Amino acid sequence: MRTQPGKILRVHVSESDRYQGQPLFEAIVARCRELKIAGATVFRALEGYGESAELHRAHLGRHDQPIVIVIVDSPENLDRLVPKIEEMLDTGVLAISEVEMIRVVTDPRVSA
Amino acid sequence: MLTKGPAKKVTIFINEDAPHRMTSLHDALMTFLLHKNVAGATATRAFSGFGSHHALHTPRMEATAEHLPIRIEFIETAERVDELLPTLYEMVTDGLIEVQDTVVIKLARPSTQPDPKLPHQRKAGPAKMLRIFLGEADKFEDEALYDAIVKKLRLMDIAGATVYRGILGYGAKGHQHKQSFLHVSRDLPIMLSVIDTPEKIRAAAEVIEGMLEDGLLVISDVEMIRLVRS
Repeated sequence: MRTQPGKILRVHVSESDRYQGQPLFEAIVARCRELKIAGATVFRALEGYGESAELHRAHLGRHDQPIVIVIVDSPENLDRLVPKIEEMLDTGVLAISEVEMIRVVTDPRVSA
Repeated sequence: MLTKGPAKKVTIFINEDAPHRMTSLHDALMTFLLHKNVAGATATRAFSGFGSHHALHTPRMEATAEHLPIRIEFIETAERVDELLPTLYEMVTDGLIEVQDTVVIKLARPSTQPDPKLPHQRKAGPAKMLRIFLGEADKFEDEALYDAIVKKLRLMDIAGATVYRGILGYGAKGHQHKQSFLHVSRDLPIMLSVIDTPEKIRAAAEVIEGMLEDGLLVISDVEMIRLVRS
């Protein structure tokens, strides 16, 4: 099994956070694409709390649930990305861990 | 104790009317296996058959209907089978005993009245976490890939797996996975997270790698604290 060293970045924000008029998580994913980061996935959690100690959960007609954006790429690419995301955040948490990656690509149109 | 993995299967062919002391041989054999705490045994009466005497026993003829074949089967560990065979050899004076290698795939026993007060066990130590990124629409042999992976992990006795559905994302193929009000997407990003010992995670990663067409596997070191009821 061929593995390559990589890093995983988890960005914890709130669904109601905004960046230049658009949802912050969408802006972060767009920034990742711009910077040619391999991929990003956004998850919405059921419930959570963070810096403001205010419980984030779904209210009627108002969505303010916790959001986690998971990004995996090479250490170099992530080191390039982290300061850019930091600029976009008002409050939030960035967590980085080291991982071993295995990319499976069989589609000939996609370069590994 | 019989566990998953290699085991021995013993099959005994006898006649229904074969005697053993005061009772029938099949009763005696089943009682013996029960007393010896064998994991399980099944005796079946065959429809018809013949043995070394080359006389066909069939229910169609009354005269031979009482001599129908009986087949007793049980599965146990190699050591237990070795222990039991000398006695079985003595008991079966007319018939056949056969032993074959087998593999126990599943050994499920619904727990009889789980005691809720039983304290759980704490298992802590270094472990590995495997995350698998794929798409909801990905298929493996006509079923959802994430379903197929979870099934496979269960079969491999991996401690646990959780499937998450993302709300937005992009990956290997570069296409955006997104759900909107007007367009209900059935291809949202999926992440599976699996935690177990390094050896088991390694084995799981190798199997899953073969099931993925496009996707990403990520392995990281974690500290695991597992609370289990054994």
